[in-house]
Amino acid sequence: MTSVLRLERISKSFGPYRVLKSVDLVVDAGEIHGLVGENGSGKTTLLNIIMGHPAIQESGGYSGDILLDGRRVEMKSPQDAIQAGLGMVHQEFALLPGLTAAQNIKLGRENLHPFARRLLGESLAYVDRARDRAEAGAILRRLGIELDTSIKCGNLAVNLKQYVELAREIGRSGLRVLILDEPTAALDREDAHRLMPLIQKLACQGIGIIFVSHRLEEVLEICHRITVLRDGEVVADLDQGDGDLNLDAVARAMIGRSVVEMKRKGNSPVGTVFMKFQDFAVDMPGEMIRNFSLEISQGEILGVAGLSGHGKLALGYGLMGAYPTRGRVLVDDRELDNTCSSKVLAKDICFLPDERRCSGLLLDRSLVENIVFTAAQHKHKFLRLHLGPLSMINWKSSREYARRSVEWFGIRCRDVYQQVGQLSGGNQQKVCLARAVALEPRVLVVAEPTRGVDIGAREAIFEALLRINQERGTTIICVSSDLADLKQICDRIVVMYEGEVFAELSSHSQDVEFSLALGGKRLADNAAS
Amino acid sequence: MPLLKRNAPQFFVFFFLVAMAVATLFVGDMPLAGLVGDALVRLFMNGVMVLSLVPMLSAGVGVNYGLPIGLLAGLLGMCVAVNYRLGGIAGFAGAILVAVLIGLIFGYAYARVSRRVKGHEEITGLFVGCSAVFIMCFFWNVAPFTNPEMLWIIGGGGLRPTIGLESTFGKVLNDLGTFNVGGIQIPLAGLSFFGALCLLLSLYLHTRSGRAMAAVGESETFAFFSGINVGKYKTIAVVQSTVIAAVGICVYAQSYGFIELYNAPLMMAFPAASAILLGGSTGKRASVIHVLVGTSLFQTAYVFSGPLANSLLVPELSEILRVIISSSIILYALIYAGEGKSA
Repeated sequence: MTSVLRLERISKSFGPYRVLKSVDLVVDAGEIHGLVGENGSGKTTLLNIIMGHPAIQESGGYSGDILLDGRRVEMKSPQDAIQAGLGMVHQEFALLPGLTAAQNIKLGRENLHPFARRLLGESLAYVDRARDRAEAGAILRRLGIELDTSIKCGNLAVNLKQYVELAREIGRSGLRVLILDEPTAALDREDAHRLMPLIQKLACQGIGIIFVSHRLEEVLEICHRITVLRDGEVVADLDQGDGDLNLDAVARAMIGRSVVEMKRKGNSPVGTVFMKFQDFAVDMPGEMIRNFSLEISQGEILGVAGLSGHGKLALGYGLMGAYPTRGRVLVDDRELDNTCSSKVLAKDICFLPDERRCSGLLLDRSLVENIVFTAAQHKHKFLRLHLGPLSMINWKSSREYARRSVEWFGIRCRDVYQQVGQLSGGNQQKVCLARAVALEPRVLVVAEPTRGVDIGAREAIFEALLRINQERGTTIICVSSDLADLKQICDRIVVMYEGEVFAELSSHSQDVEFSLALGGKRLADNAAS
Repeated sequence: MPLLKRNAPQFFVFFFLVAMAVATLFVGDMPLAGLVGDALVRLFMNGVMVLSLVPMLSAGVGVNYGLPIGLLAGLLGMCVAVNYRLGGIAGFAGAILVAVLIGLIFGYAYARVSRRVKGHEEITGLFVGCSAVFIMCFFWNVAPFTNPEMLWIIGGGGLRPTIGLESTFGKVLNDLGTFNVGGIQIPLAGLSFFGALCLLLSLYLHTRSGRAMAAVGESETFAFFSGINVGKYKTIAVVQSTVIAAVGICVYAQSYGFIELYNAPLMMAFPAASAILLGGSTGKRASVIHVLVGTSLFQTAYVFSGPLANSLLVPELSEILRVIISSSIILYALIYAGEGKSA
């Protein structure tokens, strides 16, 4: 077979960060090539380079060569990529909801009335809508879908949108390579399964396909070859013919390192169950929790793992009432009222969101102001002249407290009046923790505490979390997409899959067990199959 | 960002001012002391209206282009005072009292509208302001006021477009306690009144409630996760802005000597907005310092440019220059705010 797309030594840096290090990738005509890797492994950046995403040019371009049918090409813009015969189906649909399915599919290459075209020129000519509809219908039929193409895309079900998106890409003449970025993320199992033969059919027509998915079993099912990316490098290039292509091999290649030693010094005395989630559901777009039922004991550190889109992030947001929720959360057998965030805080439950810079900190303000803010608003601490809402902040006691916090957490800063925005990511996270600790919470929910911080800061944040837990008996719920993090500090880890608690594992469980659970599979299932 | 680029409007107006001050020395018969006195009067006269923008800017609702709503409340307050022929300090105090009460109601209604258009508060404010001004045009025509000084001379019904305040509380703040230092008239009462309002607002911004409001302005999600009711604080900010604007027009009108009704409040938001932006507010954060710096620069430039332009160039040019300057400052601030976002 001949290669249609060949990437040679592709490297890319964003500022000082090298996100892709000399990546090679070859896609043959008619091949389905799997591309897998953890979050942040560089998959999206690689796809963006191939498709000429403007963000790549704006951040200084890339190095390395892209060869299409053996000729060196450079993608300066998405238009270049499309003209060269590349197509991409996006993870989040790139459809215009106000246009019909036919209009979406034929967008940019509409059929024109020949007379009007001669009279008014290419861009002003009247669109032959009947022909557009017929052609769009024909493309959809090629995909095995019978759909009224005059329905507006906004009104279509999610799975149908996926087909329309696919139809738009394959409807183009001269399509050479089709990139599918998480095409099944929005689909349920059955629909995802139905998509597989379609992709295979496309491959049979000689189109090279790059298939990106978190669902490893899908990748294994249809891909001829699989490239595994980790930290911007190709760590494995597995071939279906080799026979060593199985779930364990891929999962191991993805995660790479075996997880480091336990840092938790013995299990802290875990108390009685005091908090219960009962059929808790959160309607957060893209991170929906369908059913979360769990009991939480006083003083434990609970990890919540899961791939993006499977609902782990929604836990903290739902608890605070940022999105509509169903079901119940009981604290000391009394139902938690989360209609208003202050009522949740009054129950000594504190949440530090994953969007640290925009939701966890006031970046333009000083450390002092950040650290005492929530406690002053909520616990009426650090105030003088107690006049209710008109009380003034007591800067003296605030400053003292902030200085003690800086010491306790080991925050590196010029002084407590430095702007938080000037600190490094790790130190910012510690300021967040200091702000939470000032509230003396009983339950602390942290989301992605180590996202975007370097290795050293990561250890320091763990140390702080463990100290909060040990010295204050605070129950900690740590939500993270980094398994190594969770295994290092948590007593037990629940794995979320499709919005439900899929498995509860201990930090001693094997890596393979974790990566299977993340993909919605159990060790036994896999062995059986 | 380098200081010069970030503070370009301030530098520009400052140099403009220095150039004008130098020019006055060379142009004969320009009473410098008189001009400085006028500038001081214009500072407190307009300053309160500029100050009224601060709460909404702090709470992240943006520049209050709905300023006319507050002004209408103030105009109503003054009309009530004039109708009952309240004169002097009592008249001024009465006008402010009624203005504040009406301001609370108008402000709450405005807040309700503004809460529904999350993220588009500025443009909505502009249109709410416009429509309110014209709705009130009906009201001025049919309002049941009885003092003949306020009514059309012919027909005896409906309010006049301009109502003189000579017989009631015109210039009470301007004249009270004014003293002379080296030929410059210092309007003590007016400046003190403005200063007191500045101090009160600045104190409020340092309270627990004020801090919460500023946090809402900086990051709504941060405020939410800190247990702050975002909607409540935005409402408080809009009501505060409206009430201060109502007081502001009372101060303005007593100094001007007339109440101007009908279309007059329509364009008053722009000079106020450009003054605070000139003072260094970025459109997201504002402080009392921005008000003081901005209003001083803006109004002094206005006072100086008038007579200078009239004697050096074409008469009436000063008004044109002023509109150009104030509009371009708003434009600059909008462009600059956009840059900040994309960076």
